[in-house]
Amino acid sequence: MRLNWFSPLPPARTGIADYTARVLPTLRGRADLVVWTDQKAWDPKLEDVAEVRRYDLERMPWMELNRGDMSIYHMGNDPAFHGTLWQVSRHHPGIVVLHDLCLQGLFAGLYREHWHDRDGYIDTMERFYGGLARQDAEAFWDGRLTIAYLNAHYPLTALAVENALGVLVHWRDGVQEVTQDTPCPVVYAPLPYPASPRRPQGDAAAACLQAEGPPYRIIMFGHIHVNRRLDAILRTLAGLPEKDRFRLHIYGRLWDEGHVRHQIHALGLDEVVTVHGFVPEDELEAALAAAHLAVNLRYPTMGEASVSQLQLFEHALPTLVTQVGWYAGLPANAVAFVRPDHEIEDIRGHLRAFLADPTRYAAMGECGRCLLEAEHRPEGYVQALVDLVSEAERWRSYAAVRETYRRVSGELQTWMMSRSPLRPMQVFGEDIWGYSPLPVAPRRVKRLDRQHVPTFRAIQEATLHQADRMRHESDVTLQAIRQVVGDAFRR
Amino acid sequence: MRVLIATVQVPFVRGGAEILAEGLRDAIQGVGHEAEIVAIPYKGYPPERILDQLLACRLLDLTESAGNPVDLLLGLKFPAYLIPHPNKVLWIVHQHRAAYELWDHPLGDFMHYPNGPHVRDAIRQAEERLIAEARAVFTISANVAHRLKQYCGIEAEPLYHPPRYAEQFYCATADDYFFFPSRLSPLKRQTLVLEALALTRHPVHVRFAGVPEHPTYAEAFRASVRRLGLDDRVSWLGYLTEEEKRYHYAHALGVIFPPHDEDYGYVTLEAMLASKPVITCTDSGGPLEFVRAGETGLTTEPTPQAIAAALDALWESRNWARRMGESGRAYYLSLRISWESAVQRLLG
Repeated sequence: MRLNWFSPLPPARTGIADYTARVLPTLRGRADLVVWTDQKAWDPKLEDVAEVRRYDLERMPWMELNRGDMSIYHMGNDPAFHGTLWQVSRHHPGIVVLHDLCLQGLFAGLYREHWHDRDGYIDTMERFYGGLARQDAEAFWDGRLTIAYLNAHYPLTALAVENALGVLVHWRDGVQEVTQDTPCPVVYAPLPYPASPRRPQGDAAAACLQAEGPPYRIIMFGHIHVNRRLDAILRTLAGLPEKDRFRLHIYGRLWDEGHVRHQIHALGLDEVVTVHGFVPEDELEAALAAAHLAVNLRYPTMGEASVSQLQLFEHALPTLVTQVGWYAGLPANAVAFVRPDHEIEDIRGHLRAFLADPTRYAAMGECGRCLLEAEHRPEGYVQALVDLVSEAERWRSYAAVRETYRRVSGELQTWMMSRSPLRPMQVFGEDIWGYSPLPVAPRRVKRLDRQHVPTFRAIQEATLHQADRMRHESDVTLQAIRQVVGDAFRR
Repeated sequence: MRVLIATVQVPFVRGGAEILAEGLRDAIQGVGHEAEIVAIPYKGYPPERILDQLLACRLLDLTESAGNPVDLLLGLKFPAYLIPHPNKVLWIVHQHRAAYELWDHPLGDFMHYPNGPHVRDAIRQAEERLIAEARAVFTISANVAHRLKQYCGIEAEPLYHPPRYAEQFYCATADDYFFFPSRLSPLKRQTLVLEALALTRHPVHVRFAGVPEHPTYAEAFRASVRRLGLDDRVSWLGYLTEEEKRYHYAHALGVIFPPHDEDYGYVTLEAMLASKPVITCTDSGGPLEFVRAGETGLTTEPTPQAIAAALDALWESRNWARRMGESGRAYYLSLRISWESAVQRLLG
């Protein structure tokens, strides 16, 4: 079997590049690999396990790609890493590995920052979500709606898997979500992570914890954006009478280091919190090995599985995680959940519970480690991928025929223009324009029975959606008013 | 009986398939039936267009014409042979070769398109299902039947037919040249023969005839002749009338015909009718069903060296060449290839 692998590669600073470096050595045993990249440089170690080829979208070597049994595309939200490979996948369908379940960021970024294609973006949003999405897309483009709002309502994942022959997700619940967007096979495989040999475990680790005593080291690391909830963590620590019994160490890039340092100082946490910045891997590993507790919150989330969480499991570190997306599916005995709407309350509760019984949390870390060893083995992941390749090969012909459907439906629309009785129908799981009977006149509902449920559900969803949008707009307006009033007051 | 012959026609391109369709029509009319050719315009690129045309064929209704039933549909070429009909017989000239044996071959075009594998699979899947609609499946050669079996698992009976004006071929005293009549195309491998000519020990001369499939092929051919210093040993006669073609067959020392995996190959049969030995290659497909190595011609590896050796051998042994040519004609006659027998099988 020969596979074409499209992914960001180390040293690109994305977890997906690191994932590729972790998976390829195991996958090499099952397939000949050609890794395709548009990066100018890559870690030469990759060439020990695969042939690495550079491509240019304008001059794609289709013949070389066609010699492979399947092309595998890794999709994430950064247009710089995934924009070009998504375009390749449009021309040459293959398996899509979804590293995020919400890809609005990728497409909004591509259309807005890279292509400056307002009409293309708005048309795309309308194609997938209808007229209201068109209005929202216009509002977003004009700066009246935020990307966070769009992420929440229009994931655009369907655009990434539209031509796919197979989809692999790293989150169990993601299968059901993605199956609505594509008729092709969708499988779940836990994110692979080759665990290093075990450190002292179980009672030994707990005893070690007891012996060391406070202050306990809490660690937080990675690319830390606003959704990592650092503000909430700092506010919680500041309000915690026992805060001196903890030391929070922050590693990695901060979205706004100046703001974070200012907040630490303003909250009186200079002695409790240390910002280390980006450090070499061995230094981070040593910090993880020395930590007692980790914080790995994410809200909102794109639904992605977290490599950093697996790294924390590797160190058997008990971790506070937000109870959303992939994290919500983790076993309750392996992580400490923080509800997004009770964030400070839950963080505080866990910190106090930790102080009261650190061994309980050490056991939680051990459960995480066992979970990692049982479910995240690269061998199991590679087997799932190989099985998916076999299944996806049977879908190649459907991808070709689907294009024919699109051309035929386009032709029919041209004939019939706007007065036609045509409306979309589902073919291969997507809207295809086709003949249907003339529209039926609406009837008054006299009695509610089962057949009306879908209609009411649709009305309910539309209403909730509209209410949500209005609430968001109100928040934005209120914030603007506060700003204006605050400025006036200060003057 | 009213019979429709369903085929495709690439506008401005005429070859063996068109001759076959016309010969079949005439033969059916000759035995007292009504017969007409329905030729669907065809463009085989980019790959997705092929599926459009397949769909277009499937949407045609050839069960009746002007209120009168069409009793039999005879399908010859892809995708016209997939037009639905309750009484359909296929006589397959060839399938869409880029989706099958030419998929991973330098002469196949699908490999150069991003959706090549996807369209290939769609064609294969469609054919596996739709060819089975026919009441009977014949092919024009054992080679085409073999491919159908290999790729689609479908059994078919090879059914030979004679070249046009078969009875008018004749033999005359051999002059100092080999004849290579065929449209100029990479699949026919004229360039391979030029490379062989550059290696012969004797001043072997080859007369090429036929129109180029694409203007660039003619330029490439001329460039090869110049590059190999063969200006005085190569003639390119271009388009020939049937009478001119028979003349060049009749006066040739032998016929060289080394195509890549030919479906059938009228050239082989015409050479045999003109009592000329045929040099062909081990991967030439259809011609191998007729050339009996050392008896009616020579079969060589598809290399310039091997072909050069074969050309030299016949050049220096004219009597041997003549005897093999005579054996070839006798062998052809022994096969009893005729339109009558072909039509009888097809009409059932």
